Amino acid sequence: MLGGYLGPLVIIALNLVGATIAGVAGRLVRVSVLLTLPIAISVVLVSVFTRAGTTVLFTIGPFDATAEGVDFAAQTLVRLLAIALSIGLFGMTTDPRAFVLDLERRRLSPRFAFVALATLEAVPAMVERAGVIQASQRARGLDTEGSLRARVRGVVPLAGPVILSSLTEVEERSLALEVRAFGRPGRRHLLWRNPDSTAQLVARAALLLLLVGSIVGKVTGAFPQTP
Amino acid sequence: MLELKGVSYRYAGYAKAVLQEVDLTLADGEIVGLVGPNEAGKSTLCLVAAGLAPASIKGALTGTLTIDGEPMAGRKTHELASRVVVGFQNPNTQRSGIAATVFEEVALGPQNLGLDVPEIVERTRTAMALLRIEAIQLRDPARLSGGQAQLVAIAALLAMRPRHVILDEPTAQLDPAGTRLVGEALRQLAAGGTSLLIAEHKTDLLDGVCSRIVAIDGGRIALDGPAGDVLADPRLDALGVQPPSRVRLQRAIDEAGIDPRTAAAAAQAMAAVA
Repeated sequence: MLGGYLGPLVIIALNLVGATIAGVAGRLVRVSVLLTLPIAISVVLVSVFTRAGTTVLFTIGPFDATAEGVDFAAQTLVRLLAIALSIGLFGMTTDPRAFVLDLERRRLSPRFAFVALATLEAVPAMVERAGVIQASQRARGLDTEGSLRARVRGVVPLAGPVILSSLTEVEERSLALEVRAFGRPGRRHLLWRNPDSTAQLVARAALLLLLVGSIVGKVTGAFPQTP
Repeated sequence: MLELKGVSYRYAGYAKAVLQEVDLTLADGEIVGLVGPNEAGKSTLCLVAAGLAPASIKGALTGTLTIDGEPMAGRKTHELASRVVVGFQNPNTQRSGIAATVFEEVALGPQNLGLDVPEIVERTRTAMALLRIEAIQLRDPARLSGGQAQLVAIAALLAMRPRHVILDEPTAQLDPAGTRLVGEALRQLAAGGTSLLIAEHKTDLLDGVCSRIVAIDGGRIALDGPAGDVLADPRLDALGVQPPSRVRLQRAIDEAGIDPRTAAAAAQAMAAVA
């Protein structure tokens, strides 16, 4: 009976246990539900009313809501939630710099590490810059508050400087990195490593085995198939 | 020795050359100041002398860049990194973005050079001590004041221990104390044999640390000589470069017709304050 639900529900339970231990359970559930909500609404609407089935629960106009559609929508939702909780828990409990530098220690290219971290840093940097530019534009009389029309009009003189200054900054930053031999081929010695306990090693090995087992189970048909 | 000979440089897509027939030599242990009005070509000269143009910034270069007797034409930027480095005026764009602490930020260059960890740590500590930023070594580089960020950016360059250092307005965001600190660090570097080219509007800094000043205008070298002579040259004013306070005070004393002995005492007092 729990065929299509068991796996995702186990993952959700494990995530919630981990989040509770890390003290982020409330925030994790809130963020995950908010993130999955737009997709969840469309999945429910499309699945419940368009999925072919024999048991009609109710009818709205030309659309029949079937029990099979509800079941499919529910299975999809628990899977979405499992994915959102997993990604959310990872994001809330892992320092991105520590993560990427640890990957570099495990032979990831320094260039990839830079791209990953620079991307993470780019968004708050752009938001900060946009704030400064917005303040200076407002000081010169630009109306960025008030009606929707005024706000939309205010976007153009804001977006141009933000984008252009970001591009200039990227160019200067890449030059500064080149000066510091960033493009030099070969490996570099890292200054520190993340603490890695035996328990973490065992947990990683168990997760790896679980991953391989899941793929094998899926390929061989040992797991229940998606309806 | 770093030597530019007959160098002209035109950025890709531009009709006019930004540098024209520039000859410039930096001897080992020499600190040369580079002054000139806006758009004179100072920053471009810094980029060309560091080998970044045209290696990383596309354009047409004629003439030669020679470092320690070896021509640098066709060399990749990272191949030049252990010989010559260049610092830019905006410290925020020099931040790598991948370091969690100031220590790691300063250590990035030595790491990239493939050095062993003890060597990286020793270079990093020495560079931080030179600019007295040990107290902020565990701070997030993204959360520093402009002055602190500028000192970190300079330390990050010095940790690479290049033979030649080029700095484009290194004290743009520094207060007078920070500017003096950088001046002291540059003097120490030069005493160790490093040659330095400093493009700077603050002629007071140059007056204190440079042995030679080069003034550039319209992409050509307009003045080149001992620091004391060039900084007191009236032609410098005509280029839009403000002479250092010492020179301006001397001129004011001369114009006011104050007794030379009093003027000498004032000059001594100025030197002591500087």
